Amino acid sequence: MHDDHGHGHHHGEHDHGRHAASSPGVRVEALEDLLVERGLADRERIDATIQRFEDDIGPMIGARLVAEAWADAGLRRRLLSEADAVVAEMDIRGAEIEHIEVKANEPGVHNVVVCTLCSCYPWALLGLPPNWYKSPEYRARVVREPRAVLAEMGLHLEADTELRVWDSSSETRFLVLPERPVGTEGWSVERLVELVTRDSMIGVAHAADPGGQ
Amino acid sequence: MRLSLEVQCCSAMPPDADEPMPATRGVHDLGGASGWGRVPYEPDEPPFHADWERRVFGLLGAVTSATARRPGEFRYALERLHPDDYFDNGYYGRWLAGFEVLLDEYGVFDLSDLALRVSARTEQALGDITRASPALRVAPVADRVSSMLPPDRPVPAPQRRTVRRDLAEPPRFSTGDRVVAPTPTQPGHTRLPGYVMDKPGTVAKLHPAEVLPDSTAHNRGERPQHVYCVGYDARTLWGDDAEPNATVYADLYECYLTAAQSD
Repeated sequence: MHDDHGHGHHHGEHDHGRHAASSPGVRVEALEDLLVERGLADRERIDATIQRFEDDIGPMIGARLVAEAWADAGLRRRLLSEADAVVAEMDIRGAEIEHIEVKANEPGVHNVVVCTLCSCYPWALLGLPPNWYKSPEYRARVVREPRAVLAEMGLHLEADTELRVWDSSSETRFLVLPERPVGTEGWSVERLVELVTRDSMIGVAHAADPGGQ
Repeated sequence: MRLSLEVQCCSAMPPDADEPMPATRGVHDLGGASGWGRVPYEPDEPPFHADWERRVFGLLGAVTSATARRPGEFRYALERLHPDDYFDNGYYGRWLAGFEVLLDEYGVFDLSDLALRVSARTEQALGDITRASPALRVAPVADRVSSMLPPDRPVPAPQRRTVRRDLAEPPRFSTGDRVVAPTPTQPGHTRLPGYVMDKPGTVAKLHPAEVLPDSTAHNRGERPQHVYCVGYDARTLWGDDAEPNATVYADLYECYLTAAQSD
């Protein structure tokens, strides 16, 4: 059977010092220099890639989809049944969205996304994942004790809420459609977008409280 | 640059005897593992915490263009890392170690080339730097036996770069079917999480067909497969420890699955 393999116990036991590698900062500088000198990398392209993912590709793309779906029941239905078509129509392109599935939170049902084997994440919709999403703690525990993990992260669900955990083990990527907060009736898409946090689209938080706006 | 498509192995050191690793569950296969504590949660956390992480991210395209170009190959390099290299510097530390492994295995440059550069920036001796290289303690690429993989089914080449393929063969399973994914019989790259192995689940949905990473990562052809979203009741996975009212869904390639005994 598949007993626990105790990586958690391994972590932190580094008193042997046998594998004291140089700091990653020094190593990546050296590696980049070598690749550039040999014509295998271009510093301007590296800078442009970083800049694109810091400034242009981020959770605001997914947030726009969610806000539009909150405001338009027809779009919401399509987003839940054929997200690829909706994403294409909105001209959203890029990495890690070969096939998108959107999972709607609703009263009594809560969805949360993980990748236990690596850190798969819909980059073109949410940007690069936060560290906690890639942490062994999240990857190990959220499939086994999702309710406890979410509570630790500040999301307390009703005991009778059904929890659905989506492990991204193929090239399908998942986006959670959070519940539209009460008190936002009649809001424009522009205002709604401000309530859609990244963490609510991963499923570890609710959308922001409109009272806080 | 060595352009051989077969990944070469250069592991010069035996794995630590005190860290046994089940053949079917690598260091990366974390779902359900115990011993891990609180999630290091930071609301609205930025994507990078240090400039070196930005540089590592920015180099992904250059490194994989020169080395791991097949689906699953970069992931498999990370899965073969020594646990220290996998965990110690987080996600981008893992990528950097994977880059060093791949550049060495593909012969793009020698470990000593990199050690010289690092030495020039630090007080560390060349020998110490070289000995600490992730490439010296990475697990070798497992030998994947083609006859144990599903047959290849050539399909029309897609118009764009994608892992999706259109299969003429109908899917073997339908929504609602009970299925089980047995523990793999050969080591190597797989997208079958250890925690669902040998557990019965229910097909919830079909996803688009994809090339099989278990094959492509080992350079054994595309062997495209139907892909199923399979739901597992938490009690089936975790027994009495399970939280109530929870289902875990994993996306599994058709060749992983067999029909489950009715229960």
